[in-house]
Amino acid sequence: MQQETMQNKDGPQADGELEAATSNPTPDFDDWAKFGDDDIMQQQTAIRAEEAEKTPFEPLSSLAAEYQSGSPILLEKIKVLGEKYAAIRRTRGDGNCFFRSFMFSYLEHILESQDRAEVDRAKSNVEQCRKTLQSLGYADFTFEDFFALFLEQLESVLQGNGTSISQEELLLRSRDQSISDYVVMFFRFVTSGEIRKRSEFFEPFIMGLTNATVEQFCKSSVEPMGEESDHVHITALSDALGVPIRVVYLDRSSCDSAGVSVNHHDFIPAVGGLPNASGSTETVSPFITLLYRPGHYDILYSKGK
Amino acid sequence: MQASRARLFKEYKEVQREKTADPDIQLACDDSNIFKWTALIKGPSETPYEGGVFQLAFAVPEQYPLQPPQVRFLTKIFHPNVHFKTGEICLDILKNAWSPAWTLQSVCRAIIALMAHPEPDSPLNCDSGNLLRSGDIRGFQSMAKMYTRLAAMPKKG
Repeated sequence: MQQETMQNKDGPQADGELEAATSNPTPDFDDWAKFGDDDIMQQQTAIRAEEAEKTPFEPLSSLAAEYQSGSPILLEKIKVLGEKYAAIRRTRGDGNCFFRSFMFSYLEHILESQDRAEVDRAKSNVEQCRKTLQSLGYADFTFEDFFALFLEQLESVLQGNGTSISQEELLLRSRDQSISDYVVMFFRFVTSGEIRKRSEFFEPFIMGLTNATVEQFCKSSVEPMGEESDHVHITALSDALGVPIRVVYLDRSSCDSAGVSVNHHDFIPAVGGLPNASGSTETVSPFITLLYRPGHYDILYSKGK
Repeated sequence: MQASRARLFKEYKEVQREKTADPDIQLACDDSNIFKWTALIKGPSETPYEGGVFQLAFAVPEQYPLQPPQVRFLTKIFHPNVHFKTGEICLDILKNAWSPAWTLQSVCRAIIALMAHPEPDSPLNCDSGNLLRSGDIRGFQSMAKMYTRLAAMPKKG
């Protein structure tokens, strides 16, 4: 149990202690008065930059080690996961973990598959997203830099042009705050645009999460960096970009019948304007698999990869 | 650094183009530093700030627009969410709820909206917040009006 809560560090709350520890131990009143919100934000940025250095790729056994003294159900489930999956890549827990996991996983897939058709398809979806934002009244200059940077990354993982990059370079870029955060922000714009465009579809789901209107939800829970993602965000991003996503759930729920199983949910993008047909018996199989533990997303790697 | 400069330049052009679109806001960039801006905003009507013109100072960080601009009132103002001495503003979009979808211009609009709809439950100016929270609307309004006259209106004569 304790192990599990320690994993739930997604979000800025954990920063409080660090700030207290690193500031002057015997401050006089003036020092505290000068320690304003701006200093706190700067310190948070520095901590995040440090966290960004860590994105380890580990065998699944390291996940089991983490829960050694934890819930037996979780250990059982990790064993089941081990039948299909070989490894996990950890994503930093700063509230952007879903988007960052998606970014790396998608670009890595393109890098490995060199699937030009997929890149072309994605690009035309990105153009649609641009039009969506324009029609919703967003000024071009507020989002175009983020779009341009994502398209640049997409182009760079395809080999054969002057700007092609290696796996190692992709890793470096994903850790580079100025690139990674811009791509996360691109996804946030795309997600927000999709939710607002189909607000009637998303409204009941948003009502179930918060008391906010669709507009308020996008302004407060989608567009700002560091706001955690839920199924609403995943559905919208998957639909907008036309990329299927599998989320495998590692929590302590069990159906206490014979043996445990691990639940997963496939987000299959809508085709031709139909709402997201998630969970249906589709032939499309997601090439992006994320591991969800309450409060956090990491990337899962299938065996034989 | 380069990205923030490019973005600010686009905002600058937009401000020049839309100069007359919003008569309540006059946003201007420092002649020699694109990271420093000032704005003059009109106090919203039917509030104790009506008739006053308030000056705001913007300091834009290098990580803009991923990080919000720092904004404070240069003109003295009596408002629950503005620090009476420093002019610091307590507004969610300038902190956690910031996103690059906001612009310097729309931040000004949000501040005008905050002037019209104070949130006394998260006060930076406790005296002002306490007046509102205890229901002394008249006391709050006369204090706010007095400071508007003293600090935000041109001296007569």
